Amino acid sequence: MTEFTALEELVPARDEEPDWEDVLRRARPARRIRLVVAVLVAVAVFGVAPALAVVLFRDHGLGFPPAADKSNIVVILAPQTGRILLEVAPRKDGNGFCFRIKPLRAGCVPRSKETVLMRPPLFGWSFDPRIVSGTATAPSGKTFPLFVRHFGGRIDATIYMARGRLVPRLLKSVVLRDASGNVVSRFAFKH
Amino acid sequence: MLEELEAFYRTHLAELRRVATAIAGDRELGCDAVQEAFARAVRKRRSFRGEGTLEAWVWRIVVNAARDARRGQRAAVLEAPAENGHAPVVPLDLLSERQREIVFLHYYADLDYAAIADALEISPGTVGATLTAARRTLRDALEEVS
Repeated sequence: MTEFTALEELVPARDEEPDWEDVLRRARPARRIRLVVAVLVAVAVFGVAPALAVVLFRDHGLGFPPAADKSNIVVILAPQTGRILLEVAPRKDGNGFCFRIKPLRAGCVPRSKETVLMRPPLFGWSFDPRIVSGTATAPSGKTFPLFVRHFGGRIDATIYMARGRLVPRLLKSVVLRDASGNVVSRFAFKH
Repeated sequence: MLEELEAFYRTHLAELRRVATAIAGDRELGCDAVQEAFARAVRKRRSFRGEGTLEAWVWRIVVNAARDARRGQRAAVLEAPAENGHAPVVPLDLLSERQREIVFLHYYADLDYAAIADALEISPGTVGATLTAARRTLRDALEEVS
């Protein structure tokens, strides 16, 4: 095998569908400013924790799966930067929810009894209403609190994810707990 | 200017996405990096002073966006699809970041030394020497494998 063929196979050529509208949309500052303003208001009025904030926001839902009810999207973002971390919306058929996390991971999830963990980055959900907190443990033994939030209404699910970029990609375990501190779900990883 | 950017985007999208995918280490990250890079170029188009070519300026932004995407995600090493049960190996880890970028711009975007030099803000001589060394490394490694 030559380097030509190896590189050709590494990233094969393909017909690409341009999306110039998306470029122009991303270039517009308006949405970001609106979100930052919304967060500042939320922080001032509700005293939302400085690390992450949640605002109800009627969005155009670009990039969301078609099954999502785009008229009712919850946006979670970092108040300091206005960067969108997670967007969640109910499914149109009412069975579960749809999500989008940056960059470009999106999907729709039906209601189930399973607690799901995806990584990296660490992200998961459960329809078990008992879960209120969680921690991730690195191989070194150091633990990191997770962002855990229950979304009510038609979403009715609890989503958890890494808080910022401090959580390492290599983990020993993830534990989700109820309000009394009892373990509800535990994931252990072998390396 | 906006029309020129759009024309460049539409004409060279396949090469842009291949290079960005290779640098970012992931197709989704690479595609997103291209979109972000052009959004950045659209926003900053008035800062383009015409000191080099528009193409070189855009390639620079795309390469930077793809680097950012890889560093932000620490993307897994790109693996080519398996063939006959064996995944072809491209020993990219033997190359430096600079060597990889030059290889990708040369092979996937078919840029010549001068264009790569403009895009990466280095001299054409450095591009030539780096590409020769990178090719030799890849060739030796691939010969060992086969």
